[in-house]
Amino acid sequence: MTSTLTLTAGHRPDGAPSLTAVGEIDMSNAETFATVLADAVHRSEKKPLVVDLTAVEYLDSAGLAALFEHAEHIELLSSPLLEPLLTVSGLADLVTIHSQ
Amino acid sequence: MSSSEQQRASPGADVFAAGGEVGRDLATVDWAATPLGPPEGWPQSLRTTVSILLSSRFPMWMAWGPQLTFFCNAAYRRDTLGGKYPWALGRPASEVWAEIWDDIGPRIATVLSTGEATWDEGLLLFLERSGYPEESYHTFSYSPVRDDDGSLVGMLCVVSEDTERVIGERRMATLRDLGSDPSVVRTEQEMLAFTSQQLGNNLRDLPFTATYLFDDNGNARLAAATGIPAGHPAVPDSLTVGDPCPAWPVEALARGESPLVDLTGTPFDGIPAGDWPHPPTQALVMPLVQQGSAPYGFLVAALNRYRPLDDSYRGFIELTAGHVATGIASARSYQAQQRRAEDLAELDRAKTAFFSNISHEFRTPLTLIMGPVDELRGRLADADPQIRDELEIIHRNGLRLGKLVNTLLDFSRIEAGRMQAHYEPVDLSAATTDLASVFRSAISRAGLTFEVDVRPLPEPVYLDRGMWEKVVLNLLSNALKFTFDGGIRVSVSAEDRYAVITVADTGVGVAEHEMPRLFERFHRIENVRSRSNEGSGIGLALVQELVGLHRGTIVADSAVGKGTTFTVRLPFGTAHLPKDTPAPANVNSAPPASADPFVQEALRWLPAQAGDEDVREQSPQAPAAESDQRAPNVTASVLVADDNADMRDYLARLLGSAGHRVAVVGDGQAALEAARTGNPELIISDVMMPVMDGLQLVAALRGDPRTAGTPVLLLSARAGQEAAIEGLEAGADDYLFKPFSAAELLARVRANVELSRLRTGHARWRTALIDSLQEAFFVCDEDGAVIEINTAFTDILGFGPEDLPYAPIHPWWPDAVTDSDAHQQVADAFALLTGHTHGSYTIPVTHRDGHRLWASAAFNQVQDPDSGRRVIVGTFRDVTAEHYTVQRESALAALGLRLSRSENLTDALSGVLAELRDLWQASDVVASVFDTSTDPTVTATDPALRWENLSERRRQALLGLRDKPLLTPVTERSSGAGITLEHPHGTMALWIGLGPARPFTEQDETLLALLAGHIGQGLRRIAQIDQQRETALALQRAILGPAQLPSGFAVRYEPATRPLKVGGDWYDTIELPDGRIGIVVGDCVGHGLRAATVMGQLRSACRALLLQDASPAITLRALDRFAALLPGATCATVFCGVLDPETGHLRYSSAGHPPAIIADTDGTTHLLDQGRSHPIGVRPSLSRPEAEHTMPGRATLLLYTDGLIERRRQPLTTGIERATAAIHDGRGTPIEQLATDVMAKLAPAGGYDDDVALLLYRQPGPLELEFPAEATRLAPVRTALRGWLNRVGVDPATAQKVLIAAGEACSNAIEHGHRDNPGRIRLHAAATADDLRLTVVDNGRWKPAQSPANSHRGHGLALMKAFMNHVTVTTGTAGTVIDMQARIVP
Repeated sequence: MTSTLTLTAGHRPDGAPSLTAVGEIDMSNAETFATVLADAVHRSEKKPLVVDLTAVEYLDSAGLAALFEHAEHIELLSSPLLEPLLTVSGLADLVTIHSQ
Repeated sequence: MSSSEQQRASPGADVFAAGGEVGRDLATVDWAATPLGPPEGWPQSLRTTVSILLSSRFPMWMAWGPQLTFFCNAAYRRDTLGGKYPWALGRPASEVWAEIWDDIGPRIATVLSTGEATWDEGLLLFLERSGYPEESYHTFSYSPVRDDDGSLVGMLCVVSEDTERVIGERRMATLRDLGSDPSVVRTEQEMLAFTSQQLGNNLRDLPFTATYLFDDNGNARLAAATGIPAGHPAVPDSLTVGDPCPAWPVEALARGESPLVDLTGTPFDGIPAGDWPHPPTQALVMPLVQQGSAPYGFLVAALNRYRPLDDSYRGFIELTAGHVATGIASARSYQAQQRRAEDLAELDRAKTAFFSNISHEFRTPLTLIMGPVDELRGRLADADPQIRDELEIIHRNGLRLGKLVNTLLDFSRIEAGRMQAHYEPVDLSAATTDLASVFRSAISRAGLTFEVDVRPLPEPVYLDRGMWEKVVLNLLSNALKFTFDGGIRVSVSAEDRYAVITVADTGVGVAEHEMPRLFERFHRIENVRSRSNEGSGIGLALVQELVGLHRGTIVADSAVGKGTTFTVRLPFGTAHLPKDTPAPANVNSAPPASADPFVQEALRWLPAQAGDEDVREQSPQAPAAESDQRAPNVTASVLVADDNADMRDYLARLLGSAGHRVAVVGDGQAALEAARTGNPELIISDVMMPVMDGLQLVAALRGDPRTAGTPVLLLSARAGQEAAIEGLEAGADDYLFKPFSAAELLARVRANVELSRLRTGHARWRTALIDSLQEAFFVCDEDGAVIEINTAFTDILGFGPEDLPYAPIHPWWPDAVTDSDAHQQVADAFALLTGHTHGSYTIPVTHRDGHRLWASAAFNQVQDPDSGRRVIVGTFRDVTAEHYTVQRESALAALGLRLSRSENLTDALSGVLAELRDLWQASDVVASVFDTSTDPTVTATDPALRWENLSERRRQALLGLRDKPLLTPVTERSSGAGITLEHPHGTMALWIGLGPARPFTEQDETLLALLAGHIGQGLRRIAQIDQQRETALALQRAILGPAQLPSGFAVRYEPATRPLKVGGDWYDTIELPDGRIGIVVGDCVGHGLRAATVMGQLRSACRALLLQDASPAITLRALDRFAALLPGATCATVFCGVLDPETGHLRYSSAGHPPAIIADTDGTTHLLDQGRSHPIGVRPSLSRPEAEHTMPGRATLLLYTDGLIERRRQPLTTGIERATAAIHDGRGTPIEQLATDVMAKLAPAGGYDDDVALLLYRQPGPLELEFPAEATRLAPVRTALRGWLNRVGVDPATAQKVLIAAGEACSNAIEHGHRDNPGRIRLHAAATADDLRLTVVDNGRWKPAQSPANSHRGHGLALMKAFMNHVTVTTGTAGTVIDMQARIVP
């Protein structure tokens, strides 16, 4: 059984391109997440992609790896649940993180 | 009384009426002219005193008044006053006793001034009552006399005169002293010196004396003087006959007159006064009378001028002179005797010296005569009787001369002080009896009776045996010689401190006038009938000398025709002997003295007997002398050692013909060996021999206790005394020069054998006694060398006396190399033997033929009475059979014990092997069981040993054994021994590895077979028991509780009764269909098997009831009813609960059981003491309450039975509190560990004495997940972990971290796992009060190094480390273990 993950590409109210993830990202679906993320980054052209992780209940190092890959093109919307993870992994130093 | 006197008498003179003549004379005194005045005017006191005085018959005088006027009575007048009566009456006392007033005046003055009486005894006073000053002695008392008014007015004297007594005693003393000369005889000079000393002591009666002795010319010579210095003219040195004016009248004195000489004239000027104030005036001269002859001389005795020369005085001087004369007579007579005796002794000495000197010269020609004569007697045995008779005469006289020469030599030795006596303690009774018996046959042949009356003596007498033999033999020979009828009697007895030996005969006796010369040398009593005219007159003299050397005495008592008795007295003890000469008794060291010459000589005096001819015919080839056949027949075993074969043959033939048993050898060494084994009674050895000469042989024989007592007769061609002395000093008993006569040899053989038998009787008895012992007997010297053994010793050990001494290490010791243990045992025992005074031990020894023996020995140290050295005397028995019996029994017992204590086959076998190893001191013991497995199962004393690491040799040995018949020992030299037996699992080969130093004997094999049989039986029995036990254990486990516990539980169970594994307590967990868990802890009454069976049924019932209806109260009620049907179940206590592990909710009910305890993570504790009711089956009809409690995450629950907490003399609550504290303190401890801790913490000092059941649960139970290593499994795992963390009560942030860490660990495992053949991953999570622990284990094989693309994996590990407090990753071939811990912050 694959972990439940729903990815929705769209725009923020301010018009910025966004990718909203709901569910859990782990080894079993990190590849999917990476592909969708790459596609969204690609489609957002020069604008930073806002990746909304506020509804992500679990994120592991495989998911983080995908985020690191696009660190220069993305901003993150995070929840307190993920905060220690992002900080510890060093992603917070590379990516603008908006707390909800 | 005349009328005129009457007229003159004063009035009042009636006061003198009682005074007789003295009274009358007193009455005539002109009292008026005295200060007392006329008597009629005298005071009453004076009158009374005077009348007392006059009426007393005791001598008295009185002095009264200022002038001390003199009164006395009749007795005083008679005894003392003398010529002064009656002049003295009424005169002043100082006038009456003017000559002694200096003596008595002060005494009277004292009485009058002090009023105290005086006392004088024997006071010398020179009274002039007879016209000259007279020596007189008085005993008197002066008493005060008082006037009528009490004042001192005079004194009264009571007196007795002692003059006669004092002087008489003095003279008697002198006479007594003169007669008290302590010495019996002395020279004239000594006698005169003594006499002078005595006379000089009495210078009162003899102021001076002089003793003159006449010479042959009648002139007198001064011999002694007293009280006057020598050279004084009064005592000139000599007085010549014809001197016109001699000091003393020599010529008158020579005629025997005793003149009184006035000491006036020139020679007597200034003569000494003796003890007196003035020199003597007269001297009495007394002749020294000689019986029937002219006087010896005269004694001048100056006289005491203060005494009259009365009869008493003259008698005294006569007696004194008589004493002197007697003394001179006796001294002169003694001197004459002395001179005569010296003359005689001188003559004697000269005679002895002469004979001694020529005796030496005689010996050589004597030998040269006797040898050829003997030869001739042998050769001419059948010759003309006349020739034979003449030869016999030569022979007899030769012998006689030889004996005489020897005796003379003895004398010369005594004279020269060279007679070396060897004093040793001797039983005189026995020695004398033995010597006497030598003469018995000769005496009886003479037709005389022979009586030997010998009493045992209280102690030994110190004697020189050789000398004593001569004494007795001489006396006996003497008695036989002079006795023709009657008999001879020898007696020995003790008298005071002497041993008394008498030899009495009824012979011709000795005339009285001959008696004094009886013991004189060369004195022969002539014209007396005797058996022989032979005799030198020297035998008794020698006897006396020899007795004298022993400080004894010999006296003879004889009457002609009646017989003679010689009495010898020898003192007991050693005090009389020269220092250091007494030696300990030693039968061997005394030089021999042959009785034979005496007996032979005596026999020659007797008529020949008819039987002699027959005896001679029986041994025609032996040139034996006739005397030989006449002597008592003595046969003995004789060993002859001579290197000359002809001599050997000759000696053998000669000795054999005399009846002796003869063995011959060719040299000293052979003789020594033959002597040790054959124990001959006599050894005859040549001196010069090859290998070992005669002297060496003697030394060797003497050095060996077995042969030390064997007499040795040395034969030598070396003539001369020195050779003989050398031989005798070496310890030979006798010495014979070649050529010797056959008779002499046989005689000496017999004599030596007889003496040896006499002396060694007790030794032979001892030898016989020791040889008869069934126990082996041995004697060791200080160094432990065995020097004496008995027959049993040889029988047991095989080592005989021929090789003695056996020096340590003895040949029977086990070999030090091949049997070192046994050797050591013997060495230890030997140390005990030589180091302790007594003891016993049992040791292994080796028989001469090599077989093993066990000997049990006991020993004692003793002092060798001869040498004073320490020796060890011991005995031993052969205890081989006993030893093996004991060994077998104890080995069997030990094995039996091992087998009975073993719980299973493995234990039993290990124990048995250890036992076998100890029994044989084996290096190792191996057993291999050839069971169904591929390799034999090996058990060994070395626990690490397996079949595969056994040596090839040992394997082959074991395999070889497998095919051998059962219980048949196989011994392999220098390797060990093996045996096959039945093991329950198959044939078992047993190998005992022994060092090369440990032989495996036949007895060992027997024992091994026996033990193997027992081991097989024992193992079979244990196998059966083992099975039964395992069955029982399975059954017990079945009733005890669940084999599998739900997670989160820990239990402990401790039955009170061993070896049961169950008791009356129980615990149970029941996983209910709805996921809840039933928890039960119960306690049946009692413990042991009975309680366990009840418990098993209650537990099963309870379990079934809970499954049916998960309500604790209902379950317990149903149990109430069930228990009513089950004997012994009533009153059990039960705690029954139903736990929801998801929520921690617990519903429970307690049937009289102690409350459960809960400790929360924050430290709060709760007692689950609600829902409580009565124990099971007590009130079946009553309902039961229920209670609830919810355990928060990580809370810990404890259920228990009262065995955990109940202690004597402690309330139950104390135990509960201690249990509560233990749980509280251990809430951070994993529960398995906590269970162990609680059991340990609450255990009483001696361990639990009641059944204990303990059940712990911590909410929630640990999470245990196992899943395939697939990524798709991550989500459900996460869900499960998230739920568990929630139950644990972890906050969301921490939970997230744990989730990520766990997720990374699992991803890691999936990532590295084998994708093609996915492994499995196990996740285990457990909590304590403040700690979480996660373990992720995979069993996949790890892939090689990671590709760079997967570098995010590095993040994974970083995340784990960041989010967990402690992370360890252990990678091995079987997989990887990731262990993580996180602290839970409350």
